[in-house]
Amino acid sequence: MNLEAFENRVLPTKNKLFRFAFRMLGSSEEAKDVVQEVLIKVWNGREQMAEVQNMEAWCMRITKNLSLDKLRSQQRRPTDSIDERFDVRNEALSPHENTELNESMLSINRLIAALPEKQRQVIHLRDIEGYSYNEICEMLELDMSQVKVSLFRARNAVREKLVKMNAYGI
Amino acid sequence: MESKQIEQLLEKYWNAETSLEEEQQLRDFFRSESIPEGMKETAELFRYFDHQKKVQLTEPSFDGNVVRKISANRPAAKSVKMYFNYARIAAGLVVVVAATYFVGQEVRKSYPAEVTDTYSDPKLAFEETKKAFMMLSKGFGKARQESQKIKLFNEAEQKIQGKQATKEEEITI
Repeated sequence: MNLEAFENRVLPTKNKLFRFAFRMLGSSEEAKDVVQEVLIKVWNGREQMAEVQNMEAWCMRITKNLSLDKLRSQQRRPTDSIDERFDVRNEALSPHENTELNESMLSINRLIAALPEKQRQVIHLRDIEGYSYNEICEMLELDMSQVKVSLFRARNAVREKLVKMNAYGI
Repeated sequence: MESKQIEQLLEKYWNAETSLEEEQQLRDFFRSESIPEGMKETAELFRYFDHQKKVQLTEPSFDGNVVRKISANRPAAKSVKMYFNYARIAAGLVVVVAATYFVGQEVRKSYPAEVTDTYSDPKLAFEETKKAFMMLSKGFGKARQESQKIKLFNEAEQKIQGKQATKEEEITI
C-alpha cells in the first residue's frame, strides 16, 4: 500500500473510528489520539494488510483494542473513579456539539454511556454506524450469539430507561 | 408507512431481530414529522442515532499530521537501524584489530631477538665447539661407567633369582 492508497482507503474511515473511540473513552481528545495511533499502526503494518479483506473492520478492531488499553491505563490511576469518568463523558462534548444535543438527547447519551462496555460497543456499531452482524463480530472479536445477546440487552436497557424517562419526565 | 407496521417493526427491533433494511425503514420513519404521540421517546432515540452519526473528527490539521508522521516515521527508522548495524560491525572490527596488534606486541617483547654470532674467528669457534662436545662426551662416559655398576647389580640379581628358581624346582620335584 502506498501513501496514495492509504489516503484514499484508510484515512476516510477516521470519522467512524473517532466516533467509536469517543463512545468508548468519552473524551474527544483521547479519541483523537487513539485514531491517530490506529492510523499509524495500520500504515506500519501495511504489508500484512494485503491479506485483510475488510479494511474498515480491521481498523475498527485496532481502535477497539487501543481504546481498551487506554481505558485500562486510566483505571490503574487510583484517583480516577468511575463516577468521575462519567462526569467527564458528559462534559467531553465540545461546546459546539453540546448546543446541538438537546436535553433529551443528552439524557439518551448518558444512558448509553452507562451501559456495560460490550453492549455499548455493539449498540454503537449497529444502530449508529449500521454495520452487519458479521462485521461487528469481526470488529469486536466476538461470535454471533454474543453480539446478538449484547445487542438485545443493550436495546432493552435503553427501552426500559426511555419508558422511565417518559413516565417521570426526567 | 402504517403505524401498525411500524409498531411491529419496533417490536422486532427491541428483540434485536430486525435486519439492516428494516432498521433503515425505522430510521426513515422517525425522521418524518408526523410521529404518533406514544412513540416520541423512541423517535428521540432514533434522532439521537442519526445525530451521532454526523459527529466528525473536526480538526483541519489532523490528516496532515498523520501523513507527516507516517512519511517521517518510516525512512528515519530504517536509516537509524542501518546505521546501528554498520556501527556494530565496525566496532567488532576495531576490537579484533586492536587485540591482534597488542597481542603481537606482547609476543615480540617476550621472545629475544634472533641469535647473533658470538665468535668472529672460525678457528676459535671450532675450538670452543669441540670443547663443548668434549664436555658432553665426558659426561656421557661417566654416565656409562655408572650404568656399568647398575648392570653388575642386575646380573647379580638375575643369578640369585636363577638359583632360587632351580631350588624351588628341586623342591617341587
